[in-house]
Amino acid sequence: MNDLANKARGISSLRDFLELLEGEGQAITWSERVLPEPDLRNVAVAASRDANGAPAILFDNIAGYPGKRTVVGVHGSWDNIALLLGRPKGTTIRELFFEIAGRWGDAEAQISYVPEGQAPVHECRVESGINLYDILPVYRINEYDGGFFMGKASVASRDPEDPDNFGKQNVGIYRLQVQGPDSFSLMTIPSHDMGRQIMAAERNGLPLKIAVMLGNHPGLAVFAATPIGYEESEYAYASAMMGAPIRLTKSGNGVDILADSEIVIEAEMQLGERVLEGPFGEFPGSYSGVRKAPIFKVTAVSHRRDPIFENIYIGRGWTEHDTLIGLHTSAPIYAQLRKDFPEVTAVNALYQHGLTGIISVKNRMAGFAKTVALRALSTPHGVMYLKNLIMVDADVDPFDLNQVMWALSTRTRADDIIVLPNMPAVPIDPSAVVPGKGHRLIIDATSYLRPDPIGEAHLVSPPTGPDIDALSKAIRLLQQGVAK
Amino acid sequence: MSETLCPRCSSTGAIEDYQGREDNIVVWTIYRCVTCCFSWRDSEPASTIGAGVRSADFAVDAGNLDRYPKILQQ
Ligand SMILES: [Zn+2]
Repeated sequence: MNDLANKARGISSLRDFLELLEGEGQAITWSERVLPEPDLRNVAVAASRDANGAPAILFDNIAGYPGKRTVVGVHGSWDNIALLLGRPKGTTIRELFFEIAGRWGDAEAQISYVPEGQAPVHECRVESGINLYDILPVYRINEYDGGFFMGKASVASRDPEDPDNFGKQNVGIYRLQVQGPDSFSLMTIPSHDMGRQIMAAERNGLPLKIAVMLGNHPGLAVFAATPIGYEESEYAYASAMMGAPIRLTKSGNGVDILADSEIVIEAEMQLGERVLEGPFGEFPGSYSGVRKAPIFKVTAVSHRRDPIFENIYIGRGWTEHDTLIGLHTSAPIYAQLRKDFPEVTAVNALYQHGLTGIISVKNRMAGFAKTVALRALSTPHGVMYLKNLIMVDADVDPFDLNQVMWALSTRTRADDIIVLPNMPAVPIDPSAVVPGKGHRLIIDATSYLRPDPIGEAHLVSPPTGPDIDALSKAIRLLQQGVAK
Repeated sequence: MSETLCPRCSSTGAIEDYQGREDNIVVWTIYRCVTCCFSWRDSEPASTIGAGVRSADFAVDAGNLDRYPKILQQ
């Protein structure tokens, strides 16, 4: 195993990862004084312009928040994702995709428990006189957001109907809006695990206690956002995918949490109560509406000494949200399709959480790609998210948009398009007919096979393969002034 | 009741939630509207908190809060 892979497996906290990133030139400290608004947003947006190489940015001089620190862009570039996966900067998106797809389902989870008294997250504890603004240097992420949001919080909860079941414990990323010194609202939908748990608690009058983890092991944010089965533990899954141990401890209110997180907020839902939430600039690049959302009362906060508040810029792409979840949106669709159709060779669902996806497939017969597309729409993520699908042949790299455009230009006939009207849609898709209902589009850009009478043109066969990939990298290195 | 006007719904009665201080001098103050739940910092740009400057598209109608849907209804 090489040095970078060993380093990646040695990460157990946000601090470890920031140190690794800094050593590779992928984390910087912004010490010039900034205003919470609009400066933090402006710097984060400027960094997002470089999807390949943007560094994480740690702010340690924020007006009105002396001594407090916040970091954005931890997962904000492909180079940072590469380092998290133990691969060098400059690794292509296609290589990162196959790195993740190759880890799918074959590794063992390594979970260990740290006594509460020894867990770094419990170094400092606030149980009375709680004011979240004392601890979190929050700021308005987009100018018309309804308040100050925690945009990168991993929320852990136990199933209110089966609180002793480790597997039914849920960890997910939900947006949280600060609603006063010791309260916040949580936005979710009924089909998400947290939505199910809230509805079950309210139906049965059961308490719902949660722990909000901020500034976490960088593997968790990636994998907690991945749709997996309800009874699979996100902790076990993150550990398996990282090939590294994960240290847990207990929160003061009995929830399993990461022992090395920067900040953990313990809270209890106020049964049946709702407060106005939003708008919030969301991943399609548009604002959500204002809705009445459940409210949680903070009961305690634990944090490390000198904690780092981790946040994200999300809005009109490209943003950290896209690099954070893009590959882990693509990999499960690939794995699920391959079970039935081994002809599928890659899935690119990087765009707006998979609202547009590109799938490459070896056509078994004329029209076969359309069959695969319909199967993709019935995968767990596809049901709601895969709105526009472009099907290409296996000789087209779906991660290379120049090649995808070539396939669209030369292999698509207007009657190779399918529109499926009035299908389920993500409620925040602004193009929906009504929120939650919209049309799906399949473009078959694969080549013609018999019995299609048109036939394929005689193609030029430029050299491809690992030798050419290596030459591309050699050219880039020479261009950067690095000897081969 | 404070006389501070909410930039989003124009109600009065906003609560002061926090003061950012440096060397014990107040740098900014965070307010919260009890009617529409909007939170703001008084140091923010006028495009966010300025009456008449904020986009009307993002106003909340304090007289008709029933129009905002409740999520997770049984
Ligand atoms: Zn208001």
